[in-house]
Amino acid sequence: MKLYLALILLLPLAGGLINALIGRMLPRKVGETIACGVIWGAFSCALLAYTNFTAPVTAEYGSWLSTFDFKAPIALYLDQFSLILTLMITFVCGLIHLYSVGYMGEEASHARYFALLNLFVFAMLVLVLAANLPLLYLGWEGVGFCSYALIGFWYTEEKNATAGRKAFIVTRIGDTAFGIAIIWMFLLFGTQSIAELNFLAPLAPPGVITVLGILLLIGAAGKSAQLPLSVWLPDAMAGPTPVSAQIHAATMVTAGVYLLARMFPLIGSSPTTLAAIAVTGGATAFYAATCACAQRDLKRILAYSTISQIGYMILGVGAGALTAAGFHLLTHAFFKALLFLGAGCVITALHHQQDIFRMGGLRGKLPAVYWPFLAGVLCLAGFPLSGGFFSKDAILGAVFERGGSLYTSLFLLGLLTALLTAFYTFRMLFIVFHGEADNANHQENGERTLPLVMTITLVPLAILGLGGGVLNLPAYLGEGLLARFFGSIPGFGAMHSSHMEELILQGIAAAVSLLGLGLAWQRYMGVQRSGVLAREQAGSKLFIFLQNGWYLDELYRLLFIRPFVRLARFLWKGVDETAIDGALEGLARLMGRLALLPSAWSTGKVATSLFGLAGGVAAILAYCAWALS
Amino acid sequence: MSIPILSILVFLPLAGCLLLLPAWNCRRLARPIALVVALTELTLALWLYASWKGLAVNPFPQGFLLLEDAPWIPAFGIRYTLALDGISLLMIMLTAIVFCVGLAVSWDSIKERTSLFLSMMLVMEAGIMGVFLALDLALFYLFWEMMLIPMFFLIGIWGHGRRLYSTLKFFLFTMSGSLLMLLAIIALHLLYAQQTGVSSFQLQELLKVQLPLETQLWLYAAFFLAFAIKFPLFPLHTWLPDAHTDAPTAGSVILAGLLLKTGSYALIRFGYPLFPQAAQMMTPLFYSLALIGIFYASLVAFAQQDMKRLIAYSSIGHMGYVAIGIAAWQPVALSGAIIQMANHGVTTAALFCMVGMLDERAHTREIAAFGGLWGKLPLWSFFFLLFAVTAMGVPGLNNFVGEFLILAGTIKSSPLVAVLAFCGIVFPLIYMVRLVQEVVFQKERQPLSLNDLNPREIGILAILALLDIWMGIHPAPLLEMLHVPVQLLTGGTP
Repeated sequence: MKLYLALILLLPLAGGLINALIGRMLPRKVGETIACGVIWGAFSCALLAYTNFTAPVTAEYGSWLSTFDFKAPIALYLDQFSLILTLMITFVCGLIHLYSVGYMGEEASHARYFALLNLFVFAMLVLVLAANLPLLYLGWEGVGFCSYALIGFWYTEEKNATAGRKAFIVTRIGDTAFGIAIIWMFLLFGTQSIAELNFLAPLAPPGVITVLGILLLIGAAGKSAQLPLSVWLPDAMAGPTPVSAQIHAATMVTAGVYLLARMFPLIGSSPTTLAAIAVTGGATAFYAATCACAQRDLKRILAYSTISQIGYMILGVGAGALTAAGFHLLTHAFFKALLFLGAGCVITALHHQQDIFRMGGLRGKLPAVYWPFLAGVLCLAGFPLSGGFFSKDAILGAVFERGGSLYTSLFLLGLLTALLTAFYTFRMLFIVFHGEADNANHQENGERTLPLVMTITLVPLAILGLGGGVLNLPAYLGEGLLARFFGSIPGFGAMHSSHMEELILQGIAAAVSLLGLGLAWQRYMGVQRSGVLAREQAGSKLFIFLQNGWYLDELYRLLFIRPFVRLARFLWKGVDETAIDGALEGLARLMGRLALLPSAWSTGKVATSLFGLAGGVAAILAYCAWALS
Repeated sequence: MSIPILSILVFLPLAGCLLLLPAWNCRRLARPIALVVALTELTLALWLYASWKGLAVNPFPQGFLLLEDAPWIPAFGIRYTLALDGISLLMIMLTAIVFCVGLAVSWDSIKERTSLFLSMMLVMEAGIMGVFLALDLALFYLFWEMMLIPMFFLIGIWGHGRRLYSTLKFFLFTMSGSLLMLLAIIALHLLYAQQTGVSSFQLQELLKVQLPLETQLWLYAAFFLAFAIKFPLFPLHTWLPDAHTDAPTAGSVILAGLLLKTGSYALIRFGYPLFPQAAQMMTPLFYSLALIGIFYASLVAFAQQDMKRLIAYSSIGHMGYVAIGIAAWQPVALSGAIIQMANHGVTTAALFCMVGMLDERAHTREIAAFGGLWGKLPLWSFFFLLFAVTAMGVPGLNNFVGEFLILAGTIKSSPLVAVLAFCGIVFPLIYMVRLVQEVVFQKERQPLSLNDLNPREIGILAILALLDIWMGIHPAPLLEMLHVPVQLLTGGTP
């Protein structure tokens, strides 16, 4: 087991290093083969670890940060949760690597691309498998760096480089809160090991637990693009589409959910923290869903939908339904990767066109993309019996179970969000794939033929997304697989509700999803389609407000960025150069003046010197006379 | 050990100066001589590192591994005392590495008065080695001044821009601090003579002086001022950006890599042990200056337009963490602070080297002159990104190790300071990401035809990069080396 775990990490690391250091000298095919091979190798090792898995294990490989009572060894912890996530990460990322071979086929800097992609997988696996918080933090920051470098992959465009920078800085703000939580836990419990922290948690006073929970929540909000730190994710779409699929949809952005679930035994005892988590998740889910309804860039729709879906997962954690949150994390990884890869196919076929209003009628032209994409859409919209339906419903059911006015309103908000989700998802599908083609766009160019490797990778994801529900069927259909598998992890205990109630809830959820479908159908498939599209392109006030993400970016620019830049300039010019240096130079000039006084005596004239000598002797004599008397 | 290895470490560079004399006018001979001397120093330092576990810990002075002690000026009780413990060893290795880097990086760029330059470098190396080894305060003061004067000439002769202004500013700042320290050393010596009737400058002896609190405060203030200028702490830092901007590359490398560390080293070695109560009382002041420095310098760094100045200000911010780690005076934080001195030395030396290499090619350091270097100088950009990411404090690279340990330890002494300082780690990311974006990414703003790194430069940077990574993922041997001295300093038993 120790060997498998080491290989799971070392293979992607080695692949990344090879591509980073000598990738430019290798033939393209070799670099690509290494990059894909190491990920599938890691997946095989994860499978082997799965078959040999009996009970949670900790494997220690050596010391990293250890001095006095501070101990953070290089140690990995494999339990059911991290095992399932490792399988998911290596599998989804393996598919995305394969897809990248096709998508980046004409890219000159393939070595840099694959190196970063591999290093990302390494960092993500460190994050998931770390047995102590500093090591988890290493993975946490490592994925942040890879995400930064990959968002700005096409660095010559200032827009892309700025988007990468924004992602790095905004997530670092969250990371800082997480880091403070880490050192604070060291102060409180004297340990860094996640298992020990969760074990010792009951010893801490509740108020402290609440603050720790909030700090972790801020950290999670940064990485998982939750309010108020959600602003970086829509811009992160500047990166290549497979990067969006891998980092900004399937894996990295769920790190916040993972962290909160991992530390749940610690933070779960504080109802205030849980309420804060739930409110953050619920509000973000709703906020992002409204924004998604008004986007016209295909990838931005998916970006906002990611924020919204992660909001659901956070909401699930806040309701204490870790299994449901983990379940949604898995199905979301499948169907969101699928949607992004499908979107990448559309964008490639249309010669880098991302505006949905320039698309339309693609169903007949790209059937190999349409059908898998439809599967993804059904999951995202929570269409009855799809994977996304079961997992989202499990979260909403758990929120409802908790009761109380707060959670009931969050449940209603979640239902409203589900309605919006179904609406914007089908809006996207209908505008892009149905109706008439936008003639101006494609008649000149025609569609590019897609490499087979790009379309074929969609199939397994579509199957997993649609059939994902089997992983954890609701209780009335027998015990869920995940619920049983996760059952023994602290904090993951099953929630029980009556079968009848669950059936009713699922009925409501199904109705809501179908209602969203109906609304979208009526608006975008009927006779008014062309009128609606024209109106949306012109944009009403509300539409533009939503399209700009409620103007959060502008708000932050006004509140933080501009004052920061001004203050920096003032401190440099006003304080450093004028006040401090000015004062010191004044002092220097004063010294210079004072130095002129004695120099009046040393003019070189013999008379002056003699006068001085005589005066000095007289003074000494006077002193002696005074001292002796 | 019968070989006086510590004396060799100190005097070999001076002997190297003599060796330079016959080759004074022959640049092709002088450079290899100096480099061989520096490499020999490095070999000695590495040899000490490889064998330190085999050395017996001295009972007196406690915790030291090697001691060379002889009377020097008996009339004043001045002794020639050199001693080595884990902290000194780390600093010695850093010194030896940074000097090799400094000589290698200026291999081609110093074209005038090369031999004078090389001898200045060697004298400085001797002085800095001495500072890190001396345990007699008079001897320490001698070395302290000895490293200052060559730096004065280094900036004044081989610098750029307003080099005379900058070098005078540097000299006046450090000189005024060290004169006060000299007075304090003499006062301490006299007080000791008064109390015991014996005159001595030895640290182990002076530690026994009984000082009334008020005297302690005055003497500590003098020491503290001298070291705070070297650190540099806000608001005594304004000599640093000027000195860095106008210094030749080797000067910046040594200034940032080593001279700043002498202040923090001396505070740990002399300031705190000699005046424990005073240091304790001044802790709030120390914390505040360090915290202000972190935020202030980071903000000012963000506004800079000259790459070298930006990195100079970033140094002030990073040294603020070292200051916090010392002020906390707690084992984990102090280990972190000491290891951070080495980390920052390596990383900042590398960044200054890189700016120097770019300056040699483009003859400008204005950020606005560059852009899109990734496409033109892929190797340079690769290394620059790596060192920038290190400076941002990304874990797995060495800066993180020091800063994280400092903060994890400080929270035990002062949670508020640790939390505030942790908030400060956002800033290096902001200004470094901005620097990287405007220089390495985006489109080029001026057509510049530049050549990428040559093998000599790749060699220098690769070694520094490997050090960054090695210290980032496996700092355990270094931390182990610091264990005993740190424990003794913070009042534990080994």
